[in-house]
Amino acid sequence: MNLTRRNFLTWAGISAVGAVSCKIPFPEGELQIQSPVRLPEDLVKGQDNWYATLCRQCPAAEGVLVRVMEGRAKKVQGNPNYPVNLGKQSARCDAGLQALYHPHRLAGPMSRSGPKGAGQYQPVAWDQALNTLGSQLSDRGQGLVLITEPLRAHLGLIVSRFATAFGGRHLGFQTLDDTTYRGAAKSVFGQDVLPGFDIAHANYLISFGADFLSTWGSPTHFSRAYGEFRHGAGRTRRGTHVHVEPRFSMTAANADRWLPIAPGWEGHLALSLAYVIIAEGLQAPGVDVAGLTGGRGAASLEAFRPETVAPRIGLPEGLLVLPGKDAAEFIRQLARDFAANRPSLAIGGDSAGAHSNGQFNLEAIYALNYLVGSVGAPGGVVFNPASPLPDLPAAAKVGSLADWAGVAEDIRGGRSKLLLVHQADPVHGLPPSVGFREALGREDLFTVSFSSFMDETTALADLILPDRVYLEDWGSDIPEPGPGYYTLGFQQPVVNPLSDYDPRSFADLLLAAAQEQGKSANLPWPRLRDFLRESSDALFALNRGSIQAASADEFWTTLLRQGGWWDEKGTGPRPGAAPRDLLAGIAARAAAPSYFGAADGEFFLLPFAHNTLLDGQNAHLPWLQGAPDPITTITWQTWVEVNDHKVKELGLREGDVVRVESAAGVSILAPVYPNPALPPNVVGIPLGQGRRSGGEYAAGRAAPESANVLDLLEDRRVAVSGALAWAGARVRLTPTGQSIRISKFEGTSPAREIGLSPSEDIFKTVSSNGAAGGAR
Amino acid sequence: MLPKGKMVPLALVGLGTAAIMVFVLVVVAMSWFSNPPFGLGNAPPQPIAFPHTVHAGAPEQGGLGIQCEFCHRNVTKGAAATVPAVEQCLFCHKTATGSPGTAQAAEIAKIREGITDGPPGSPPAVDWDKTNPINWERVHRLPDHVRFVHEAHVRFFTAGTTPETQLPVAQVCSKCHGDVASMTEVQPQARQSLKMGTCLDCHRQNSVPTDCTVCHQ
Amino acid sequence: MATERIDHKWGMVIDLDRCTGCQACVVACQAENNVPMNTQDRFLQRRAYEWIRIERYWEGEFPNVKARFLPVLCQHCENAPCEPVCPVYATYHNEQGLNVQVYNRCVGTRYCINNCPYQVRFFNWWEPQWPATLRNQLNPDVTVRSRGIMEKCTFCIQRLRRGELTVERREGGRLDAQALRDRNFGPACVAACPTGALIFGDQLDPNSAISPYFADANEHPHEEDRTTRAYRLLEEMNTKPNVLYLKKVDQYPLKQGEQHG
Repeated sequence: MNLTRRNFLTWAGISAVGAVSCKIPFPEGELQIQSPVRLPEDLVKGQDNWYATLCRQCPAAEGVLVRVMEGRAKKVQGNPNYPVNLGKQSARCDAGLQALYHPHRLAGPMSRSGPKGAGQYQPVAWDQALNTLGSQLSDRGQGLVLITEPLRAHLGLIVSRFATAFGGRHLGFQTLDDTTYRGAAKSVFGQDVLPGFDIAHANYLISFGADFLSTWGSPTHFSRAYGEFRHGAGRTRRGTHVHVEPRFSMTAANADRWLPIAPGWEGHLALSLAYVIIAEGLQAPGVDVAGLTGGRGAASLEAFRPETVAPRIGLPEGLLVLPGKDAAEFIRQLARDFAANRPSLAIGGDSAGAHSNGQFNLEAIYALNYLVGSVGAPGGVVFNPASPLPDLPAAAKVGSLADWAGVAEDIRGGRSKLLLVHQADPVHGLPPSVGFREALGREDLFTVSFSSFMDETTALADLILPDRVYLEDWGSDIPEPGPGYYTLGFQQPVVNPLSDYDPRSFADLLLAAAQEQGKSANLPWPRLRDFLRESSDALFALNRGSIQAASADEFWTTLLRQGGWWDEKGTGPRPGAAPRDLLAGIAARAAAPSYFGAADGEFFLLPFAHNTLLDGQNAHLPWLQGAPDPITTITWQTWVEVNDHKVKELGLREGDVVRVESAAGVSILAPVYPNPALPPNVVGIPLGQGRRSGGEYAAGRAAPESANVLDLLEDRRVAVSGALAWAGARVRLTPTGQSIRISKFEGTSPAREIGLSPSEDIFKTVSSNGAAGGAR
Repeated sequence: MLPKGKMVPLALVGLGTAAIMVFVLVVVAMSWFSNPPFGLGNAPPQPIAFPHTVHAGAPEQGGLGIQCEFCHRNVTKGAAATVPAVEQCLFCHKTATGSPGTAQAAEIAKIREGITDGPPGSPPAVDWDKTNPINWERVHRLPDHVRFVHEAHVRFFTAGTTPETQLPVAQVCSKCHGDVASMTEVQPQARQSLKMGTCLDCHRQNSVPTDCTVCHQ
Repeated sequence: MATERIDHKWGMVIDLDRCTGCQACVVACQAENNVPMNTQDRFLQRRAYEWIRIERYWEGEFPNVKARFLPVLCQHCENAPCEPVCPVYATYHNEQGLNVQVYNRCVGTRYCINNCPYQVRFFNWWEPQWPATLRNQLNPDVTVRSRGIMEKCTFCIQRLRRGELTVERREGGRLDAQALRDRNFGPACVAACPTGALIFGDQLDPNSAISPYFADANEHPHEEDRTTRAYRLLEEMNTKPNVLYLKKVDQYPLKQGEQHG
């Protein structure tokens, strides 16, 4: 055997596996020991090295350290230096290793050999594949559409310039897109880059809809701060958290108080709080109430008096067990608590912004921060600076549903004939009525997928050019939301691909293609690494921030060793005064949510991003499929969670399959999980399952075990932003008589059955009154 | 006294019991003897006849006296002692080819496949793509559930405070591996087994922890 | 350098008021310790392997309902019920406070599982299997347990031993809280935990973050006398775990009616 470095890697892998297996007395690989031809120092047997890079399993792009032994990545851990996660990590980060060594990874370029969508592909050589790409770009490149995951920094710049050079456009795809939130942040704070939140130093936090501890925004960043919010060093009291959401999410479960509001009324509650604060004069000192309300004070919010709002927002009677107090009084008290326990913070997102009136909801929520003086203050909303280097985008460009409908229309109209897709699955992630699947099936469209794995969009592609997995590739990120100061994370390859795999870097392919087509005027770099190095030299020239180096080379190696560069003194813009008449303007735009779907539907449908699988982008990773959902503990399956009493009322039991129907003929099948914490008129269904292609882990289970909840949604949009109004559907449940077993973790360890009552003796609580909240 | 008719089954039972006992003994014996050093490592034939005598043997006995850790260079740094890369052999064997025509030269030629001798006076060139790795047969092997760190053991016996723990590296190696410098073919040290008892005896003699988790993780 | 050996007594504190139930510890543990893959079949058979798991309890009824997250791992009891029942001494207590399972000694009687009140021991009913490519990820420092072997949380003993070797034997320092955290020698679950709910340290190190809690719990055998929120799981069984829990602060308790904070 000729042992090139790559062959050696395979060999090293075999011996490492041999070293840990004790099945056969002498595994074959262990009877020999090999002298490799050459021995780079980082491949010495039994020695581990840790390399800093970025995780790409979720859009937050956390900084990680990867343990590499003998050329194989063994463990991913948070990078203690990286400002976003400060050494912490989510379950998703670890699973990057399974993406790297996934049995269903696409090994090399393939071209379609059967009808579109039939999934028949034949391997082709890279030369041939690149020729095809080149000829397609020169023939049909005009008006191309480039769809990627939400991208920032270097790759974000490359893709957008590439698309522009061909007269096309680039759009980032996010299933539950944040365009509404972006629009609200822009109109309330005047910021293009998403703001951050100083949760760690807040005393009182009201969150509306946003499942920020699980999937929304930058969950690890927020979770770390949340730990501090509860019992941080130097805190005198424990923070109080109130969560407002129709569904009992993981964030709701952790809040001190959960308010199950009627879907879509979050903004009305927020303005009602604002009304009470203004009417009772509870605002923080120095807040220009007259400026916010057009000089009219509480009168501008007269329509949001608690007495008016309380009956609409559907807070359940039983929740308000205060003798002599009603819902309106409850709202007043909430507003008083919020105003009195400064620094206080209001954040909103997810389902609160996914109704027809979503943008109004989010604007009303975020405007509350002005009243308590939390904009740009410690314990409040933190503004993030743009990029430390000119041109590098610090905000991801994400397409709204309106954009995607436009793309589908352009394809149908023959205006776009070439589609390039990278790590995005719009066919899975858009409601069927947008017609994306049909559009991609058209013969006059040529689709190139750069995905490392088969997914529903890739299954419709004409040419597949697999990208390197991020642990094998260069990259960068400007975190969004960031930590409040300049941060540029760097991603470096920590291992080489296995010898049977021949992926190529997406960025490098784009740069080479632009060069070949004579469109490289704005893309002069031969490879992404050269661009990164150029930026490193530019950062070195700035002469500030986290890295002190004597030379540009030393700066570059330090940069890679630390996983990035940041400048804690380079904070975001100072907050200006609140926009004039902000509250009055929002109040004038107030609207009730309009629902769609089954008009006689008994239930509101609340889809939600899965804790580990997110929208399905991680559905191929067995660790994440096998990680129990925090609330239901369900694994490997779709479920529809229904209030437990409601389940009995319907004559159902856990695992009974129901048809969830949003319109005539629009339905999915899913098993019922009785959830004691769901309002009787709400059902929840997670995203993530229901993949039609992608190997046994992602797509190996058929309905009713696996279904895509997006199939139930219609082309309904949020006013102004044009995003998908994914939280406004009403559905009917019809029993099918069929029943399956739910694969859940709950009950696996019979701790409940050891003769003690479940929660009180095992899970102990202490009242905050006794221990003054600062209990050790 | 048992009725006569019952004698035969009893004999059968006795026979059966004996058979089971023999079977158990055989299984136990097999598992014992098939473990190192008996089942493995009795000087297996190697792809290259590498004489440690020539390389590591004392100069007065015709060897070169190369230190153990010069070739097994990770032995003082990490868990594995590591066998040297071919590249490292070629430090010397780029030019040291042995007397032409001898068996020694034929063995050395096996690692010099990628070498083209330049014109006299200039160094030979190496084409690494033509150089092949060497698949040695293992001589010393520990079961997979044992974690042995060479570095810790070498450090204990070389960097201690008593004369017994301030030995030269070669003497530390020979505690388990025997006097490899005098072996033409490497074989396990005579009567020295790498069984757990050997480890424990040494750990006890030197007052080192014998907790299971020191080696089994 | 052969320095004096430093004694350790490892312990963990789990702050229930910080735990959000996010599962980061669960997956980090599986990645570090070559835990067999939890396929759907294993969940259906109630044989999923999670050395650390998040138990979720319900309290109350809608709308006054709470979900409680309780991370449970091997409690490393000083007085461990699993130890005396093992006929082959495959499980024992070592001098560093760890309840140790010796895989190569285990014969698979499963007596220990039946005697463990915390249900944190897992029996390998099958030979562990991974697709060939995924085996590249396996941690070479950790033995893969074969069929018929019992396995459980080790407090990531391979990391602790590596830390002792590196910091104490080689560098002459001490494997203290800082080394455990900054150099990745602490358990994988603790390193991962985003909210800092899991705290690991040495009970013999007075500067360790866990020491005040253990001091309080050891000094006051009765929970009501303690000045901290510390309690032990199933304390009345007198298993003396080396894992302490800190009570959840319940600002709006369900039972005593509503009060505004």
